[in-house]
Amino acid sequence: MSRILIVDDEANIRLLYSQELMDEGYSVDAAGTIAEALALLKENSYAVVLLDIKLKNESGLDLLQTLVKERSDMAVILSTAFSCYKDDFSAWLADSYVVKSSDMQELKDEIKRLIERKKSR
Amino acid sequence: MSYECCWFNQDRNILDCPNIEEGEELLYASPRKRFVEKCIDCQWFQKDLGRLSEDDPFRMIINILRDEYKEQVGHLQSLSSFLSSKSREIKFLHELSTVLQTSMELDEVLSVAMTAITSGKGFGMNRAFLLLADREREYLVGHSGVGPKNYEEAWRIWDEVDRSNFSLTQLSRQFYKTKIFSERAKFQDVLEQLKVSLREADHIFNRALKERRPILVDNAANNPGIDPKILEVLGVDRFLIMPLISRNRCIGILLADNFVTNKPISPRDMESLQTFAFPVAFAIERASLYEKLRIEVEKQTSMNRKLQEQQELIVRMEKMAVVGKITSSIAHSIRNPLTIIGGYARSLLKSNNMEKKKEYLEFILNEAKHLDEVLGEVLNYSDSVHPVIDCWDLNQLALAVAAEMKERLADLAISVDLQLEPDLPQAWLDYKQIFYCLKTIINHIVQMQPAIDRIAIETCRDDGKLLLCVSDNGIPLPAEMRIALMNPFVETETLGQGIGLPLCRMILERHGSSFAIEDRQGGGTRYCIILQQQKEGLEL
Repeated sequence: MSRILIVDDEANIRLLYSQELMDEGYSVDAAGTIAEALALLKENSYAVVLLDIKLKNESGLDLLQTLVKERSDMAVILSTAFSCYKDDFSAWLADSYVVKSSDMQELKDEIKRLIERKKSR
Repeated sequence: MSYECCWFNQDRNILDCPNIEEGEELLYASPRKRFVEKCIDCQWFQKDLGRLSEDDPFRMIINILRDEYKEQVGHLQSLSSFLSSKSREIKFLHELSTVLQTSMELDEVLSVAMTAITSGKGFGMNRAFLLLADREREYLVGHSGVGPKNYEEAWRIWDEVDRSNFSLTQLSRQFYKTKIFSERAKFQDVLEQLKVSLREADHIFNRALKERRPILVDNAANNPGIDPKILEVLGVDRFLIMPLISRNRCIGILLADNFVTNKPISPRDMESLQTFAFPVAFAIERASLYEKLRIEVEKQTSMNRKLQEQQELIVRMEKMAVVGKITSSIAHSIRNPLTIIGGYARSLLKSNNMEKKKEYLEFILNEAKHLDEVLGEVLNYSDSVHPVIDCWDLNQLALAVAAEMKERLADLAISVDLQLEPDLPQAWLDYKQIFYCLKTIINHIVQMQPAIDRIAIETCRDDGKLLLCVSDNGIPLPAEMRIALMNPFVETETLGQGIGLPLCRMILERHGSSFAIEDRQGGGTRYCIILQQQKEGLEL
């Protein structure tokens, strides 16, 4: 069972994503801040990290850089409400981008694609 | 001895004098003048004088006096003629300098100069060529030419000029308007070949410039100092080289000749032309400088226009950038609740668990409420552009906000301390907007300082202003955080989550009021809205 980490400051988004992804058969952890995420990453390994860019008083892109440097085995999907996230070059480091939507099919497809890609390597 | 002249012969009446002509009647009344001007050559007086013996001293003296008188008269006539000539020259130069002084266009100045040289009312030369020093001052280059190309043309032109009876000014203006370009084209072949390096020190043109004096070239074909090429181009044996120098700067060379009439060029002609050369050189230089200045001014004007366009573009882009930020912020604030609402709505459709369904509906309701707040903020932002200002009781406003937020603050276990100064004068404000500002500040404090248990709402007077302040007992804010809070979209907050401090600041600035964040004595932070008491000084 692939493990997924959701990092989002919106509790309801975390809850919604967790339920949807668990229904898809994934094991899911969720963090509301970078500190919480780092604590979970220290203890666990994830196939995919679903990362919100705009966290309260923090930027998900800072965590993205840490992940790229230190945990390159994990795929990172930037999940954001901002459609202009690509304005920041550091966002280009992510494996994929998904704009938040009530229809989570795109998100699920991306997670599936990244996990399969990892398996095929 | 009987005399024949009227002085001694009583039979002769003065009025019958054959020497006094019409218009000279005054001589009848002036015997001395009459004698000097008329009698001394009168045949009767000569006869009377001839009657005296040749060795008569009286006759000798009279003859000496007569000869001397005639010589003096001749001298006087010569002087008078010279004076008339100079007088005409001065008049001509005056007219010329007046035209030159008022001409700023190079071609207009050249028209005056060329017309003056070749017109019969001017120096009356047949042809003239102007060579100007180029911009780098390396070459003298043929610039303009004027005059006939052959005899037929010469007679036709001179006939036209004679019949027109134009003054020099009129002629030069006509030349400027109708002929300068055609004359230049006519002599294009000559002008192209009139090119001399200013470094050729031995060239006769450069000699004239160096010696700063005109040179009359005569018998050019046999003059080894004359460039054969120039000779061939001009096709004359005699011509005048006039240097044009202004303030020690070489302007160019004027060449003049009598190509058609072959009339000799006298030293007097040279002298007159030299007098004329200085104002021409000065006027050409001034016109050239004016032309350069005009070009520079045009460049500057064009640059300024471009700069202004760029500035306007930057302002437009900045406005667009702000609009982009606002739009992006609004989109973000709407997308999160929409994602949750849509997501849970889909879950509702899939779920059969009533408890879960109730839970999902609550999420949906909460997010709908959140969207409502976003919309409220957007509308407040829009309203802030046109505040509705009136007199309001500040304490009433503070009490109303405290009442509205009482429940939420109680849920968070935060007590409210109201410190309202009694008998405050009425404040000049938009009630709805200041209400929003105060509420936004309290919301902001609650979000930023989760550890506080008390806030104070305070009203007071300070130096003619009214203060509406909110204080907390939390951790003091770092300086960079204060700056971020005061500038729109710098901080990470978004609409619907209390963006609001920069918006508050904007609203207050539109009121003519201001906003300050400062450390609170005894710990915590104090947020102050500084309001006007009176209408004066407000820009609404």
